[in-house]
Amino acid sequence: MTRGTLVYIIQRLAIIALTLLVVSFVVFVVVHALPGNAFISQRVHGRTLQLLLHEYGLDQPVLIQYWNFLKGAIHGNLGVSLYIRGEAVTPLVLRELSVSCELGGAALIVTIGLGMTFGVLAAIRQNTWVDYLLTSLAVIGYTVPSFVIAGLGIMIFADFLGSVTGGAFAYSPVWTGTYGTIGELWLPALSIGLYTSGQITRITRASMLEVIQQDYIRTARAKGLRERVITVRHALRNALVPVISILGTTIVGILVGVLVIENIFGIPGLGKEFVESILQHDYNVTVGVFTIFALLIGLSNLAVDLIYTVVDPRIRY
Amino acid sequence: MATTITPWSEYEGGTLARQQVGLWRDGLRRLRRNRLALAAIIYLGLLACVCLVSLFWTPYNPNLIGVCPTYALPGTPGHPLGCDDLGRDLLSRLMVGSQVSLAVGLITAAIVLVLGVSIGLLIGYLRGVADAIFALIINVFYGVPPLMIAIVLYVLLGPGLINIIIAIAASTWMDMARLVRGQTLSIREREYIEAARAGGARTGKILFGHIFPNALGPIIVQTTYVVPAAILTSAFFSFLGFGVPAPQADWGGMASEGFSPLLAGFDPYILLWPAIALSVTLLAFNFFGDGLRDAFDPRQRR
Amino acid sequence: MTGSMNQPVLEVKGLSTSFFTDDGEVKAVRDVSFDLAAGETLGIVGESGCGKSVTALSILGLVPRPGRVVGGEILFKGRDLLSIDREELRQIRGRDIAMIFQDPLSSLNPVHRIGAQVEEAMRAHDKIASADVRPRGLDLLRQVHVPDASRRVRNYPHQFSGGMRQRVMIAMGLSNRPEILIADEPTTALDVTVQAQILQLLRDLNRDLGTSIILITHNLGVVAGLCSRVVVMYAGEIVEQGTTEQIFDAPQHPYTWALLRSLPRVDADRHERLRSIEGLPPDLIAPPTGCKFNPRCPFRLERCFSEAPELKPVGDGQVAACWVTMKRAYAEMGAASLLDTRAGAASGVRPPLLPLPLAITRGPQPAGPEPLERE
Repeated sequence: MTRGTLVYIIQRLAIIALTLLVVSFVVFVVVHALPGNAFISQRVHGRTLQLLLHEYGLDQPVLIQYWNFLKGAIHGNLGVSLYIRGEAVTPLVLRELSVSCELGGAALIVTIGLGMTFGVLAAIRQNTWVDYLLTSLAVIGYTVPSFVIAGLGIMIFADFLGSVTGGAFAYSPVWTGTYGTIGELWLPALSIGLYTSGQITRITRASMLEVIQQDYIRTARAKGLRERVITVRHALRNALVPVISILGTTIVGILVGVLVIENIFGIPGLGKEFVESILQHDYNVTVGVFTIFALLIGLSNLAVDLIYTVVDPRIRY
Repeated sequence: MATTITPWSEYEGGTLARQQVGLWRDGLRRLRRNRLALAAIIYLGLLACVCLVSLFWTPYNPNLIGVCPTYALPGTPGHPLGCDDLGRDLLSRLMVGSQVSLAVGLITAAIVLVLGVSIGLLIGYLRGVADAIFALIINVFYGVPPLMIAIVLYVLLGPGLINIIIAIAASTWMDMARLVRGQTLSIREREYIEAARAGGARTGKILFGHIFPNALGPIIVQTTYVVPAAILTSAFFSFLGFGVPAPQADWGGMASEGFSPLLAGFDPYILLWPAIALSVTLLAFNFFGDGLRDAFDPRQRR
Repeated sequence: MTGSMNQPVLEVKGLSTSFFTDDGEVKAVRDVSFDLAAGETLGIVGESGCGKSVTALSILGLVPRPGRVVGGEILFKGRDLLSIDREELRQIRGRDIAMIFQDPLSSLNPVHRIGAQVEEAMRAHDKIASADVRPRGLDLLRQVHVPDASRRVRNYPHQFSGGMRQRVMIAMGLSNRPEILIADEPTTALDVTVQAQILQLLRDLNRDLGTSIILITHNLGVVAGLCSRVVVMYAGEIVEQGTTEQIFDAPQHPYTWALLRSLPRVDADRHERLRSIEGLPPDLIAPPTGCKFNPRCPFRLERCFSEAPELKPVGDGQVAACWVTMKRAYAEMGAASLLDTRAGAASGVRPPLLPLPLAITRGPQPAGPEPLERE
């Protein structure tokens, strides 16, 4: 950890903080300009409405409201839910964050695992049937929407398998408890992961193909190294760099996938919360979700940039 | 007539000098040879026809309930694709659904093109404060997934096809602006730009007369990728419930409607047809984009 | 007097390698034969594209696709490298026969440390004991004069200069004490002063360790400085072979002769033009009939267009593939005072009429080769 790296990290963290500020502000303002509010949907009118609005501070000017929000946010208090009385936003959001991270993490494993394996295989067996098959899979992966894959998965594993095996192996798309089980996690994770892994496969393959042409591979072979060693320690290691560079976009893609898939499978994570909060006009929660997402993305981008320095020693901050 | 008998070439890495062909002609020729891209173009052409036709005629009224027995299977006479849970003919709905997808895709791409190019050109050319502001905006926008931005904007604007388009365009124009900015930054350093400036050309003329035509290649390719991205986003929209208001049929909405019957154990066709339509259309646009990109890539001279 | 001491450590017999491209079979190496004795330094000389690098790659089975060896034998201590299995060949690479390449920056893996790469060369084989690998690695770097070796061993390739990198490559190559070191243009990418140092290093290593060296280069000066014997290649074939003295003092093939003449000389008259060889190397897919040098040779005869000459002795151990040879060129064609070196200029022989299909124009015409008049 050099001094330069430390300075870089601090700079990035500052930018993240700034981004959070801007994002939360913009969302706050936009969200408060939205028609209707949480209480309307609960059919509260008249005087009760006024009382409630006052209690929640919603009758004050937007900027004052934001200032209050900010003061609380610095201490970790993101306000209270308007829809569910008394529920504080922060613990709610954090709990759902962990669920989304579980799903997102599983999807990330699928993405990188499948994506890189396919990419490497396709590259070393270039122009054979293996290559064509894997590349086609990758293309299908990143073109077909994740809900289609989810739907197909349900079709195959729930209906088809269920009817064929007389209900013995039926897969049911439910989610037990907060964190579900592995048996319930794999299809949602796969639906998200297949999409993003397609891009990883493509980049890995292209990068490997280029790396294989390099002179140092020839040197490695001239040294008498085994093929497996050459492929992994020399080729793949260098091919990683472009893959890392799209890791940031990939993570955003996973987050988008999480958003959609949670709503399909009823998984109680941030994505589902986001949609619900908008539909229920529970805007405090919306702001909270947005802020957490922004924080997540900022931190993961920073992590990716730091991983860069480990993978490619030529890059130093 | 004198001719030489010494053919010459240098074999070092296999390069044999070839006749120089213009970029466009060469590109067009390579595009024609790319069979995937050709298939994609044909499909898209057919899709466009279906869409146009559906504006005037469909086998049945797509929104009319009870036209056929609910959950009718494909192959039922008169309903080759079956019917949905409300007894609406799926084929008609599928045809009409193409309107939304194509409209969203193409119009969004148009907006992104115009917006992204103008802003990108200006930022890239003028730099300075504008560039700093741009960088700030970009950083903020990139901190949040575009889908979320689009959803919030859409809720703000209210329901309607136009608003969907605006919301999606607003959440994705930055990529194009970034691309154009990058191209502008590199092109503006070239000598003919300096020559134009020395000759007294106005900024606008330089931007659109010189820089823009030279950046055209990547811009076109990027635009062809915006279309499927927009279609995908609008499909997600409809799927999550933010879509075009009923009863207008659209593929995402149809897929969403098809999920509950699927989970309840009914046949999957209500989900299947729009899913296939979406997937194939997206694939087609992507292959087309890939074909364009490969065809005009100056590094792959053959 | 043939004991194992005198048996050549490498015997290349009739090696042919081709590249099978979409445009046809490129005959990059044709029927190349030479021997390498233990402790000898052999130079392979020729211009770009003449097949010298491909020859070297063929020895170790490193010819990239779409190329492959199509004929001949390569006997390393009696074993034919072209017929052993992949695993045996892998073991020979780096352990018994090592190869270093032209551009040391691109030839070293940028993401691994120098020390690790040198050690890897040893760990891949079992000639050096595991415990000795690390100290020997350091030792090797010192032997090749990398300063501050113990610290620099943890550096990455991009932190070294070009000359240093090439030294590291040499260290890597010698790490398993190979019998043969093949150096493919080791100094081409380096500054002139560094070139001299590298060559000196190779000379010392050859003398001290007894490693045979095959040096591939297009630079005759380099050959003169290091090699005891020289092989001259043109268009995939050997056109002359002999000791360095023979080649430099009395080259017999017109190509060798022209090459030597083309070297700029410090003692030349300031106004003298540089004497290059007119024309370009031939297309290896459809080479000229007869001697491949005939489109550029000032001394060609009628026979040169129809029959390809074979290597014949022209001196004590010196061989050349030419119907004319410089002896005759000096005697009969006034080669000593030749000013016009265009094809056929000295002998006055023009190419024979050929049927129409061969009269094809491909690309820009080089200035010089005579046009074929057709009625």
